[in-house]
Amino acid sequence: MGEDKTLEYLLERELRVVNSYIASKRKSLAELLREEHPHVLTLSGDVHMFRKSELILAKEVIGEDAEKLMLPIYVELIPAQTTTTGVIREEIAAKLVSTILGINHATPLYVYPIQLAELRRKIGTLIQYVVSPETLKEIGDFEEI
Amino acid sequence: MSQQILRLARPTKIELIRLRRRLATARRLHRVLRDRLLILTQELVALYREVVESRLRIHEEIIRCEKELVRTSSYVAPWIFEEFSNVRIKSFSVVLGSRIVVGVRLPLLEHEVVEGHYDPSAYPITLKEVSECYEGVLKNIIRLAETEISLLEVGREVQKVKRKVNALENLIIPRLRATIKYLRMKFEEREREDKVRRKRIKQILTRKARI
Repeated sequence: MGEDKTLEYLLERELRVVNSYIASKRKSLAELLREEHPHVLTLSGDVHMFRKSELILAKEVIGEDAEKLMLPIYVELIPAQTTTTGVIREEIAAKLVSTILGINHATPLYVYPIQLAELRRKIGTLIQYVVSPETLKEIGDFEEI
Repeated sequence: MSQQILRLARPTKIELIRLRRRLATARRLHRVLRDRLLILTQELVALYREVVESRLRIHEEIIRCEKELVRTSSYVAPWIFEEFSNVRIKSFSVVLGSRIVVGVRLPLLEHEVVEGHYDPSAYPITLKEVSECYEGVLKNIIRLAETEISLLEVGREVQKVKRKVNALENLIIPRLRATIKYLRMKFEEREREDKVRRKRIKQILTRKARI
């Protein structure tokens, strides 16, 4: 079926586009602070740069854990929820985000759209959104009509 | 909402299974695109606000700098101005990089200033203030350039994604649903017809048996 293939192709392409900017190798905050132009390479071969002022802010917030914080921070989107929610699964990253947002620290940390906007404003280059194919499986294969 | 149904070669159960699978794929795609659209729209709104605020700020800063410049030039000779501007900053460079937001590559401009070596006591303090004021304006203009290009890029992507989301929401998914509903009704009707036919045959057979 032509339409079947088109839909599958579009889904695959969208997932590829959405997840193409995942870093091929993440770097620690301390490592990035030492670099002249802090950046990581993405799976698609692009360069994702970090703003130095944001890295310094992160260093001020987490202090000694700078070696443990891996950047960029992945905010996994959960499409199965009614409103799109982001989830941060790493402990140090969750600590940084909760401190910046002024909310209670928890792992995994759930971030709602308004908080995502604030996060984007404060540490926009340090975070990246990812869509996990696993979460998509949660959407039922068949729907009752 | 489109209530049209798809043209089917044969209304069979296999076709129904295929359509349900297609509907599931379409719904997944819709979720992914909707999330992407949400993030992009947030980005677009934030960028738009930033552009407006930056423009206002730059405008105010320029007025302030001009005032300070006029005030300073009333008691500083032009050649001192020129000399100071030559020694104040050794180099000013802008690094052009990129950052990626949900699949859209946006520019990232980082400026680097290397201060020159000079004796601050040799020049009036207001000269340094004027220089710093203009440096601030320059930094803000660089940031504004980055934001404005990002705004255009994100806007273009929002338009593309929105078109896809609308097509799925208003055309593909309703059409698939309507077709599945039509097939189900068709099968139910066929079942009812079979039941009636079986009853009728049974009646005829009973009547024949009596005779």
